[in-house]
Amino acid sequence: MIKIKNLHKKFGDLEVLSGIDEHISQGEVVVVIGPSGSGKSTFLRCLNLLETPTSGEIYIDDELINAPKVDVNKIREKMGMVFQHFNLFPHLTIMENITLAPVLLKKCSKADAQEKGKELLKKVGLLDKADAYPAQLSGGQKQRVAIARALAMEPEIMLFDEPTSALDPEMVGEVLDVMKELAKSGMTMVVVTHEMGFAREVGTRILFMDDGIIAESGTPDEVFSSPKNDRTKAFLSKVL
Amino acid sequence: MPILSSWFSEFGKTFYKCFIKDNRYNMLLDGIGVTIKVSLLAVLIGIIIGLLIALCNLSKNKILKTIGKVYTDVIRGTPSVTQLMIIYFVVFASVNWPKWTIAAIAFGINSGAYVSEIIRAGILSIDKGQTEAGRSLGLSSFQTMSRIVVPQAVKNIFPALCNEFIVLIKETAIVGYVGLVDIQKAGDFIKSVTYEAFMPLIGTAIIYFVIIKFLTILLSRIEKALRKSDVR
Repeated sequence: MIKIKNLHKKFGDLEVLSGIDEHISQGEVVVVIGPSGSGKSTFLRCLNLLETPTSGEIYIDDELINAPKVDVNKIREKMGMVFQHFNLFPHLTIMENITLAPVLLKKCSKADAQEKGKELLKKVGLLDKADAYPAQLSGGQKQRVAIARALAMEPEIMLFDEPTSALDPEMVGEVLDVMKELAKSGMTMVVVTHEMGFAREVGTRILFMDDGIIAESGTPDEVFSSPKNDRTKAFLSKVL
Repeated sequence: MPILSSWFSEFGKTFYKCFIKDNRYNMLLDGIGVTIKVSLLAVLIGIIIGLLIALCNLSKNKILKTIGKVYTDVIRGTPSVTQLMIIYFVVFASVNWPKWTIAAIAFGINSGAYVSEIIRAGILSIDKGQTEAGRSLGLSSFQTMSRIVVPQAVKNIFPALCNEFIVLIKETAIVGYVGLVDIQKAGDFIKSVTYEAFMPLIGTAIIYFVIIKFLTILLSRIEKALRKSDVR
């Protein structure tokens, strides 16, 4: 589903990604872990071209997406993204946040979008907040709306960029629960997170990134119980 | 008490001489019309030019950037009276449009430079995450700008824009230089035919004050409506 070949990303002289090769199949829940500054977020943001790769190739469904003539917007419709700071649109109600893109991109009529929006809000447990504004919601609620907003475009892949890092501890659970449900439903997910419990329980595969490369990759059991790489061991001993 | 009553009768006489006699109030009423017409059209032109110049200044294209910068520099670097006279007597010298439209164009061109800086600041004040969220949903950069960034920016810059419009209305008091009779010129005219300074000039000031006060009340209502999503 996603194929990445020799991906490099430089910011000026600083090389953040130095050669990433990876293959993510449909239905996988890939959890990316690693120390700060290891390039996890940049890697994720390259997947939907919020960052333009310096070199290398990214294929989604066998289509090379970082070629010059590709319609980036069409590619992004296939991929939902959830941000660390939610990035809900504060001037729109919750329902408008969810229906804006599907209606504007003519995926469906306004009525259909609202119907679908209600369904999604029910799924994340916030149906009663449809007419509220983002400022009236708690952090955890905002992030659940952000997930619903991304799902409204019916993406094939969901990208999560540290979705719980900006939350108060007591709100982390409600967001992770929604993500677990999503994983169970068979969604292909790439999750950058520091929640090792979630990685272990929900992840089908763990990528450990360090210094711009994927230093170790394997099932949660392999990586958490018997890490092979010394840097993985050092990192896990600090966070577990 | 006789002092007070003689003052009142004196005041009444001057008032009559300045505003009622020979239907002089008509001149002021016409002046109010001119000031409002020129201001409204100038605000409209100012917003359009301001938006275009702001987009030039924010664009990555070097030529557009230079155009925006030169425009802002030239307008801010020269007095508005000079600009008005150049546009009226030089640029539009051979054009046979109503005087007030040409004056409005001059003020619009002037205001555009200031409005562009306000709009630019407003757009830059919106968190980059908003753009990223819009783009990540598949919206084009134009859709993201027009549906997500600009509506939020407008709310943030609204007070600054109102301020600019108020300055603009007062700035139009110089249209007398190109032969238009606005409030200021009407007051000035009454001063010169009646040899009274106090009454016509204070009258002029009060008229401007009332117009701007009225506008301020209207604009603060609009601002309140814009802020309805801020509720907690």
